[in-house]
Amino acid sequence: MKKILNQRGFMMLNVIFLTVITALAAMILINAAPRARNPQATLRLTALYVANEQLAQLESLAAAGNELTTANLVKPEDLKTANFSTGEPLEFTVDTKIGGGNPHKVTVTVSWSVKGQPDSIKVERTIWVAD
Amino acid sequence: MLVEFAIALPLLILILYALGLVSVNIFRLSRDQLADYVLESEARYAMERITYVARAAKAIEINGNYHIKIVHHSVKDLKDTTDNGYYPKDLAINSTAPFARYFMDRDVWETQIFVATPAKDRDYKYIYAQHQENVRNNPITGANFFGDTQVLSMKFSELNEKVLRIELEMESRLTKHKIKIATAVFMPGLEKLEITQ
Repeated sequence: MKKILNQRGFMMLNVIFLTVITALAAMILINAAPRARNPQATLRLTALYVANEQLAQLESLAAAGNELTTANLVKPEDLKTANFSTGEPLEFTVDTKIGGGNPHKVTVTVSWSVKGQPDSIKVERTIWVAD
Repeated sequence: MLVEFAIALPLLILILYALGLVSVNIFRLSRDQLADYVLESEARYAMERITYVARAAKAIEINGNYHIKIVHHSVKDLKDTTDNGYYPKDLAINSTAPFARYFMDRDVWETQIFVATPAKDRDYKYIYAQHQENVRNNPITGANFFGDTQVLSMKFSELNEKVLRIELEMESRLTKHKIKIATAVFMPGLEKLEITQ
């Protein structure tokens, strides 16, 4: 009888101990999950808007009758962003390719790299140059 | 019977305390992640709405920071008879071709105002999408269940001929993380852009 009563207290202790260990393991796993530290999703959104800005500038040139250019027409302060939690500023690189014929198929590639990991998005639009 | 528990009890209490701390930590991580997602989602939604409306703009009036008034092309239900000053009613009704009349009757210019202004009883800003001035009943950001957000700045400027540059900076009131996005939209039908203040 005494032996069983002895084990009851330690059984409960063991149950709670195991619960704590599991909870600690869960916390370690959540911390280690790449999505919590992955800044790429927010950066992709920002980069998409930078690409849209370049394309809007090209559309304006085209509507005025000017030829399209591969130069960077984005405002310089929009190329720098701090949209993720590590706090280091980041700079986008905008690359424009213009297809032949009229309307032109314009491809804008915005690329960046976070801690040595590069990433990029590509946006295409068809722009017609006015006569 | 309680003697055995007495041996384990202090350790038990410590372990329960540790369990509580760890649970709170797990909850906090998840809550912050959701709040950051809500922030990004709201910033994207507000930006998409403004660019969508600005794309079809006929006239733009920028009234200082935080305020823009866009008169844009829209398709309206014929049953709505309020005259907002831009409805080409006589032009539509006199048309003889029934197909053209169907579209011309519904072809209207609408006024859309995006303004970031403090919400009622609050000192931080939400973005409101209204049709009239001085009315605040349609917030398109903020008061989300998973985390409230506020607008830090909403700037509009003319980047080039017929190009409107929109810069939006928002912050999550829960995690204090900021997001700043800027884009430009080309407005092919723009006739007038006015910047006041």
